[in-house]
Amino acid sequence: MKKQIIKRIIELIIILIVLSFLTFLLMYLAPGDPAEKRLSSQGVAVTKEVLQAEQERMGLLRPFFVRYGEWFTGILRGDFGVSFKDDMPVSPKLVSGLKNTSILALASLILSLLVSVPLGILSAVKQNSILDHIVRILSFIGNALPNFLISVLLMYFFCIRLNLFPVVATGSVQGLCLPALSLAIPMAGRFTRQIRTETMEQLRQDYVTGLRVRGVREKDILIHNVFRNASGHIFTIVALQIGILMGGSVVIETIFRWPGIGKLVMDSINARDYPTIMGFVLIMGTIYVIINFLSDVLYHVLDPRV
Amino acid sequence: MKKRLTAFLLVICMFAAVFTACGSNQEENTAATGSSSAASADSQKAKGNEEGDNVLKTAASFAYPSLDVHKEYYGWYTSIYGLSEALFKFDESATAVDCLAEDAEADGTKWTITLKDGVTFSNGDPLTADVVIQNIQRLAEVNERFSYLGDFTWTAEDDLTITVDTGADVYPMLKNDLASPEAGMIDLDATKDFDKDPVCTGPFVITEFNPEGDVTVARNENYWGGDVKLDGAVFYYMQEDDPKLLAMQSGEIDCYNSVSSGALEVYEKEPDKYHVESVAGTRLQYYILNENRLDDSVRAAINLTVDKEAIAEYLKGTVSAATSPYPASTAYSNITIPAVDAEQAKKLLEDDGYTLGQDGIYEKDGNKLKLNICYYAARSLDTLAVLIQEQLKAIGIDSYLTVEEDPDSTYIATADFDLALYCMISDKCGDPQYFIDSTLADGAYYNVGGFKNDECQAMIEQLRVEVDPDKRAELANQIIQIAVDDNAFGYVGLFNHTTVMKPGVSGFAEKIPFDFYGVDANTVK
Amino acid sequence: MDKKKKQLKRKVMIAAACAGVLVVLALLSGVIAPNDPYATNAALIRKGPSAAYLFGTDNLGRCVLSRVLVGARTTIAATFILVAISFVIGILVGMLCGFYGGIVDEVMMRIADLMLAFPQMVVAIAVAGILGGGLGGAMIALGITMWTSFARLARSHTLSIKNEPYIQAARLLGKSGPRILLIHIMPNILEPVLINALTQIGTTMIGISGLSFLGLGVVAPQAEWGSMINEARAYIQIAPWAVLFPAAATVITIIVFNYLGDAVMEYRKADQ
Repeated sequence: MKKQIIKRIIELIIILIVLSFLTFLLMYLAPGDPAEKRLSSQGVAVTKEVLQAEQERMGLLRPFFVRYGEWFTGILRGDFGVSFKDDMPVSPKLVSGLKNTSILALASLILSLLVSVPLGILSAVKQNSILDHIVRILSFIGNALPNFLISVLLMYFFCIRLNLFPVVATGSVQGLCLPALSLAIPMAGRFTRQIRTETMEQLRQDYVTGLRVRGVREKDILIHNVFRNASGHIFTIVALQIGILMGGSVVIETIFRWPGIGKLVMDSINARDYPTIMGFVLIMGTIYVIINFLSDVLYHVLDPRV
Repeated sequence: MKKRLTAFLLVICMFAAVFTACGSNQEENTAATGSSSAASADSQKAKGNEEGDNVLKTAASFAYPSLDVHKEYYGWYTSIYGLSEALFKFDESATAVDCLAEDAEADGTKWTITLKDGVTFSNGDPLTADVVIQNIQRLAEVNERFSYLGDFTWTAEDDLTITVDTGADVYPMLKNDLASPEAGMIDLDATKDFDKDPVCTGPFVITEFNPEGDVTVARNENYWGGDVKLDGAVFYYMQEDDPKLLAMQSGEIDCYNSVSSGALEVYEKEPDKYHVESVAGTRLQYYILNENRLDDSVRAAINLTVDKEAIAEYLKGTVSAATSPYPASTAYSNITIPAVDAEQAKKLLEDDGYTLGQDGIYEKDGNKLKLNICYYAARSLDTLAVLIQEQLKAIGIDSYLTVEEDPDSTYIATADFDLALYCMISDKCGDPQYFIDSTLADGAYYNVGGFKNDECQAMIEQLRVEVDPDKRAELANQIIQIAVDDNAFGYVGLFNHTTVMKPGVSGFAEKIPFDFYGVDANTVK
Repeated sequence: MDKKKKQLKRKVMIAAACAGVLVVLALLSGVIAPNDPYATNAALIRKGPSAAYLFGTDNLGRCVLSRVLVGARTTIAATFILVAISFVIGILVGMLCGFYGGIVDEVMMRIADLMLAFPQMVVAIAVAGILGGGLGGAMIALGITMWTSFARLARSHTLSIKNEPYIQAARLLGKSGPRILLIHIMPNILEPVLINALTQIGTTMIGISGLSFLGLGVVAPQAEWGSMINEARAYIQIAPWAVLFPAAATVITIIVFNYLGDAVMEYRKADQ
């Protein structure tokens, strides 16, 4: 196990180095100049002399490898550099973005689990009842809804039609509701389906029959045995979703102006703010790889047969 | 199977109910939304009155991480927030008039600036000639766009008089440049935190600043210019159009500018609830025609075909059709352009040897006339691209669209286009030279379509040293006329500076064509 | 059991028929569209649904119904092409890795890990910038992560049959590696990977319209559902139909293809 972990960590580091290099290369090849973006951000035309002086000041005229090397050695020292957009240090921006994104991700996870756990179990227990069919159809539809679409529709119905939410709420609890809901709906659809399948799988096991024969109440079987046994798998499912959630929140954060890391990177890409983009890639890369690893470990722990 | 069908039907019914509920009471619902928002606005107002609330709430489309007046474009927003003021300011006809300084006069390469007596910062410190010079030097140091100011020699003659020696060349635009919001005055000695709490001269002082977020200001009790009518103001950061419209309807904000065409339609339906003010602004949509690729006849035909009025109609109220690149209220916007004339356009093409093919597209020597129209998807340029494509097709000029995310490093840099759409501010300081220098002069950054005219260039050189405003305007008119006659460009539209206000709100820079003013001492709610 | 299988088969047929109808609609969209999807009309800006314009018009006076129909072609074609390409690349890489193992396997699988961590937006913008804008950039951005799921699946299936007696026999007979891969392994792993491709269609469609929604997809004036929704969202309060109809089209199409994927999966499970 220890050896496995060390191997994974070395792999992680190599992956991150390659990833950061590729991202830097891609951003370098993509047209767009951070100095120019900055000088004309309000639509005032630039002149050649001013542009060149600004490029010089920002260190954009140096060769590719010098710039990558400098950024890289900075990272080794724990320095993410300063933003090309406004000369502010990148690290606090990333930290506050990550914090807000985590809040959003967590809220939507809790929301979707609150709906999908009871519904999934209920529909597995009452298999083929009308309730089961309704749950299945709804979860199927939920799963098919693109989250950008949900957010547009939610905004339309809740803000415009029903006037339920204030518009001036960015970053507040009220402002959290709609983006969290947009992320939660398709996720709840997916979870419900998986939980239903998992519960059905458990119900078919011999021990359930055994308990029933011994006269244990159905409710107790469900809560004490079935749910407990299924919960490990549910946990794996959730863990796998977190990576997707972190990446998928880019669209939602952009639409709702939620000040998370997804919106930050979208703004940074538009401004060609390399240091911030690179910081984002490193953080997200690390999260992805760690989650992949954890889910592998969990899988082994929960299912010793594999 | 039966159960499943029942379930399916139930779900369908649910959806049907939701959708019909939304669809059928379309009309009433809008009305209902209107009245309920009116009600909430009333309650808001009532609440406000209880607390003696005299704070203006508005939306800002941008939010910056710093309040440092001199850096980047942060000064635009400190000016909008009513924190900072420059030596001069622009009035409704885009003329630089007195603000912190009385006047500035030029005599060859020497300028004399007279400051107003009694101007103080919000902490009571006086604004002196030395302070002004230190500010200008800092501006030149920290802002690349103003670094040329550092090349001039600045001398304080006495507390209220400054002389500026511009060196070998005459520099006619100094007064206008000093009216730029970036040239706002800061109390350099008293300011501890330039990013979050600069001490300035404006009618308001900062009370809460969230970097890249909402900003709150309060009345400057020591304002040198007299009483400030508002108690304060709140600027909510809202980038998109829809939230602004919603916040306006729900009464969460009192006014905002750069109203979108969709929102405008809503406001205009209820003139008693919303007051809309619109003046032609300085943000210009235009296109460059590539002289290296397109025959004279084709360029002329394009300019005869593109119907600016029709395009403005699609952009309902957000854009005014342009003749010259400058707002029509200025003295330097007097040029003449031929009226739209499809027949004449066709005739020009046919005279030049183009023939109409089977497919209704002109061709010459077996080559179809097919243009590459480049654009980027901002400032309604995507709409322009689609409409221009349609209009050209109607007379027999085919085209395809190329979209770039970043125009400056793609088609502007490579000149790989037939027709390139662009949007920029044509007048940043009440003077025509900046736009001419950027787009028409030899070697200018945006002169990429191959436009070159010696007579025009000579006049541009002359404009650079001409001091008299009337003569400058006359020169600018002649220069632009040459470019227009050469069919090198097409000036399509100028964005309107549109402000919507609740009844009773006024003084929110609603009549000034620039984007960098907001609240001032006379703003009322 | 037989009855259950029959039922499942019917389910597959129904789903396939629905998907077929959608594809045919998309293919014939040029013919059945009631109006020119690109013709603008200043007199008809943001008009509600009427007899001539069943789904209303957008902010340039274009017929929303016609644009939804023509947009179907864009969306569905892009999805199919993307899934097909990822499928081919994934199955080839997966088979090679599973069959030969060793350093190739190790390297390819790490590359797959790497691709999963790549931010799609960066790829989309860079590709659009380097190769020129359009659907291509969005497709590459999605494809970069997509092939990995096919590769993993193909690899694990190859691993599981690699040591079957008939493969060993073929080896002993001196057949070359590529031959064994093509003749003995590929046919046996094709089915599960193909089914995976089928289930990926819905997700891919969501991805493509998502990128178009962010302005990283199609070039104007081309009709595509994601970009239509994005354009119309600015005036949803005045003309909700311009958002709701392309939205409905997106959801229905994704549901149909997801349903088809599920049905085929269930059918195959019952088969075993």
